[in-house]
Amino acid sequence: MTIFIIQVLNSLFYAASLFLIAAGLSLIYGVMRIVNLAHGTFYALGAYVSAWAVGTAFGHAGGGGWHLMGQLLLLPIGAIAIAAVGAVIEPTLLRPLYRRPEEYLLLITFGLLMVLEDSMKLIFGGTPLSAGTIMDAMGSIPIGRLLYPTYNLVVMAVGLGAAIGLWWFIYRTRFGVILRATSQDRRMAAALGLNVSRVYIQAFAIGCFMAGLGGAVVVPAQAAVLGMGVDALILAFVVVVVGGLGSLEGAFIGALIVSFVRTAGIQFFPEIELAVLYLIAAAVLLVRPTGLFGRA
Amino acid sequence: MLEVNAIDTFRGPAHILHGVSLSVGAKEVVCLVGRNGAGKTTIIESIMGFLPLKAGRIVFHGEDLTGMPPHERAKRGIGFSPEDCGVFPELTVGENLMISRWLGEKAAQRGNGSARTDPETQAYDVFPEVKALLQRQGLHLSGGQRKMVAVARAMMLSPSLLLLDEAFEGLAPVVVNRFTEAVMKIKALGVSILMAESHLGAASRIGDRLYAIDRGEIIFHGPPKDALANQDVVKALRG
Repeated sequence: MTIFIIQVLNSLFYAASLFLIAAGLSLIYGVMRIVNLAHGTFYALGAYVSAWAVGTAFGHAGGGGWHLMGQLLLLPIGAIAIAAVGAVIEPTLLRPLYRRPEEYLLLITFGLLMVLEDSMKLIFGGTPLSAGTIMDAMGSIPIGRLLYPTYNLVVMAVGLGAAIGLWWFIYRTRFGVILRATSQDRRMAAALGLNVSRVYIQAFAIGCFMAGLGGAVVVPAQAAVLGMGVDALILAFVVVVVGGLGSLEGAFIGALIVSFVRTAGIQFFPEIELAVLYLIAAAVLLVRPTGLFGRA
Repeated sequence: MLEVNAIDTFRGPAHILHGVSLSVGAKEVVCLVGRNGAGKTTIIESIMGFLPLKAGRIVFHGEDLTGMPPHERAKRGIGFSPEDCGVFPELTVGENLMISRWLGEKAAQRGNGSARTDPETQAYDVFPEVKALLQRQGLHLSGGQRKMVAVARAMMLSPSLLLLDEAFEGLAPVVVNRFTEAVMKIKALGVSILMAESHLGAASRIGDRLYAIDRGEIIFHGPPKDALANQDVVKALRG
């Protein structure tokens, strides 16, 4: 029973970070129709920046309550940095290609993935970077006869909070109406006085922020390593294929499905764990080509 | 108020407009009549800024609009209701209207546009029917309702010029009368209208002045009765 509870918690932890990545990917596609292949790399970059910032500011030794508070407050810096990177990349690299066929955007985001992966290797080196001091300082809580890291619960709370916050933002605020209008008909949005270029920068930056936040919250639990971005991108794609590209609800449910299946896979059938995920994605595509919550 | 001077516009490689000039005065309803494919929509979209000009210029209230992005033109008081209505399908009608109302309120505060009264009151004055649709999604509107929402939404901008592309197309005769009434009401509010229309009959009932367009060139300009009397124009428009 204890093992079962731990596995459910692990799935939820995993779902939280996967949701953050997939929601950003989905938001960018929903508003701008860009399939951002560099999205996983933004996630990795967020993890690296946060781990580096926490490590540089607080060293690698643990500390008291204030120390922990400072580290936690510094952690989201990865997300903010990636949002800033996004706000620069959209107008300079992507915007000149909007009038061209969409393959150009796929190519440039793929190129960006390569450049960023190598840049990270150059800047942060090959050794994994971690903010594990946060995880250690927060300790663990007993579940049955086992211990579970308290920090993982924080990640779940952040994931749930982000889901609620994003939903509220998109469906209940003025900017959300503007985002949805632009995603449905950018020409008409412009004719009603909306500065579509500005909306695009904002949407791209928010999407990047989500990816960066995914990386930032995960780095105290799992170190930032080279290649983590590509792995995350692939899983995020499975999430949005299952949930429906461009749908927030889809990213949420998709992240839960992928996480639970993956956790069960690691436990019961580790040899074919990834294959099962792809089979699920294939099955969803056969029955509902637009995903569970996608629109044609 | 609006001066279009000898504009040339392309759609991709196709040269659509050849030296088109026209003007719209204050509180005037001007109709652009022509067959499908004559270039009416291209003129409207050039004025709105969706298509770049290869030659000529467009001046609005003494300001050169050439090269200005569409949202800046909207801010200066040009309202637009496209042929396909452009109602956001997954937004409610209320949300559809909200977007232009924000801008209209700002314009009203600055004293631009026709805003003598609140833009919202003006829009509902023209089409009170829209009030009953506020909660409905754009997707679930009938053709006539969509056209009403599109016009009301443009009116929320508190425009001084309204561009209507085929506002009567596909409407039942009863609804056409309703729209004619609405156009007159908008005119009475002091808003100028430039409307593209395929039928000479409808255009001549509504327009103060009329431009006939064929193959991207203006072939006639004058009062509606002269157009009806001119056999060449009638022939060119009927095809």
